[in-house]
Amino acid sequence: MSEFLVNIEHERLSFFTPVGEVKALNDVSFHIKEGEVLGIVGESGSGKSVTAYSLMGLTAYPGKLLGGTLDFNGHRINDMTEKEMQKMRGNEVSIIFQDPMTSLNPVYTIGNQIREVLKLHTNKTKKEIQERAVELLELVGINEPKKRLKQYPHELSGGMRQRVMIAIALACEPKLLIADEPTTALDVTIQAQILELMMELKDKLGMAIMMITHDLGVVASMCDHIAVMYAGNIVEYGTTDDIFYRPKHEYTKGLIRSIPRMDTTEHERLIPIEGTPVDLLNPPKGCPFASRCDNCMRICLREKAPVIHFDDVHYSTCWMNQKAELEGGTKQ
Amino acid sequence: MKNHENASPVLEVQGLKQYFRVSRTYTVKAVEDVSFKIYPGETYGLVGESGSGKSTIGRSVIRLYEPTDGKITFAGKDISGKISKADNKTLRTQMQMIFQDPMASLNPRKKVEDILGEGLDIHHMYANRAERKAKIQAILAKVGLAPEHAARYPHQFSGGQRQRVGIARAMIMNPKLIIADECISALDVSIQAQVVNLMKDIQEETGSAYLFIAHDLSMVKYISDRIGVLHLGHLLETGTTEEIFSNPIHPYTRSLLSAIPSPNPIVEKTRISENYDYRTSGLDYTKGTDHLISGSHYVKCTDEELERFLKH
Repeated sequence: MSEFLVNIEHERLSFFTPVGEVKALNDVSFHIKEGEVLGIVGESGSGKSVTAYSLMGLTAYPGKLLGGTLDFNGHRINDMTEKEMQKMRGNEVSIIFQDPMTSLNPVYTIGNQIREVLKLHTNKTKKEIQERAVELLELVGINEPKKRLKQYPHELSGGMRQRVMIAIALACEPKLLIADEPTTALDVTIQAQILELMMELKDKLGMAIMMITHDLGVVASMCDHIAVMYAGNIVEYGTTDDIFYRPKHEYTKGLIRSIPRMDTTEHERLIPIEGTPVDLLNPPKGCPFASRCDNCMRICLREKAPVIHFDDVHYSTCWMNQKAELEGGTKQ
Repeated sequence: MKNHENASPVLEVQGLKQYFRVSRTYTVKAVEDVSFKIYPGETYGLVGESGSGKSTIGRSVIRLYEPTDGKITFAGKDISGKISKADNKTLRTQMQMIFQDPMASLNPRKKVEDILGEGLDIHHMYANRAERKAKIQAILAKVGLAPEHAARYPHQFSGGQRQRVGIARAMIMNPKLIIADECISALDVSIQAQVVNLMKDIQEETGSAYLFIAHDLSMVKYISDRIGVLHLGHLLETGTTEEIFSNPIHPYTRSLLSAIPSPNPIVEKTRISENYDYRTSGLDYTKGTDHLISGSHYVKCTDEELERFLKH
């Protein structure tokens, strides 16, 4: 038994599509302790959602796990049957998706959908289930819960729907909550409310959260650790302060530069990361970010950089960190 | 800041009202008495939450809806209500739109060159095939795409590239005004910055005016010269970008600004987002009139409300 709630080691996963093998994850390793908040940041197609889905066994055909081990809460995900997986999903690990309208069933009431989870995973009586459903809606800050239970998803606003999704996810008090871009479809003011709610519930229930997003602003206040993903690799991992104040990978640096800052007063230009994301059908041989990197060196195109540890937690895979050594080497 | 003292506005919206009758007893008042002006070469950012009526304004301006009341003047001509076929035709070339989802707004069965050339074809804007091709190649280069991209289909592009095609389609007609409706919301942060920079560059070159509709205030700040804050169909606060960001008066604007998460953990830990709820705020938008704060900074409220705002 490991000390970690989640321990993923050297995970490799591909999707076998008609046009070829899409290498979605190349050697991804990380772990989450109980009660920890991990942020996974990256652009679309970087593999951040796939990492989360594979943990729940949701990457069925044409996805295929090619290597590595996934451990969660004492289970080895690799060896689990579909039946065991069903027991685990929604019970020990839950997920909130980006768009609450498409993840709620439009033809069932809110109450129906909350009770379903409890019916499947607990031995509670009908009355207890009803009480728990009311309690859950109160927990996520929905007023008049008894009335809401009889309403349908279309009768609620976007923020309310996301609160219902959170209530469903929390029904069985999971050990891990996966939030896949939970606020991308919401307005800024609603986003602030939902993030506040999630942090509050985390403290109350003591669960771990895996926060997937492409918005660095969202992870800044919430997360203990951040993993930056690019083209199916974790290119940098560290504490929140490491990532924001001491970024070591060129992609992380670019990402931080490209976000609009609120503290500047004048009209400034944004500094984007030029170029387009990599094609995962034919990933490049060297560093995946090399084609968009301003400081690309010859070695970046040839070989993948090794993992460099800066301290116990902070690591990155970028040749720039060894630039001094490399230059010293060629001179000799 | 651009100086517009001598220029006449390219677009002037006066007292625009847009109601939608849902049933005999229920009418949605999407836009209530909104007025603003856009000058040549300027970007006007329209921000507000979903359902505030910002897209409706864009659609009314481009004549997708017939306004319930109010006047829309484009390049000195009244374009609200009925207009002649010829006027409509020139309007269609001089006002263009960029949409939110580039995949949904590009015809999946057409090659990029035909998507871009469609407007030219309809308005007979070239003498021969060679000129058409030259125009398409020129616009592709302008938005940072390669000449060989002309022969590709929309699905062969990434999200950012598709939005570049969307921009090229709007720009090829050489419009005076472009309505950009949430045109960067569906893109990744690093790509958003690319598109915003591109739009700014093109504006400097061509002098087109933009009506930039968005809910993300942080990006609006980088592209807009002036900003209008919209809530429940009312234009609550207008002013230059600096006026709005450094001195927000209306509690709704303040709540919008305070809700933006900062990409700086130290700042973020101390950020307090202000809550604002119209129903409990005790404000009445319908009674408000425009009050001048300074320069071109206006707030729509009653006298007593303004006093309350300024105490904060």
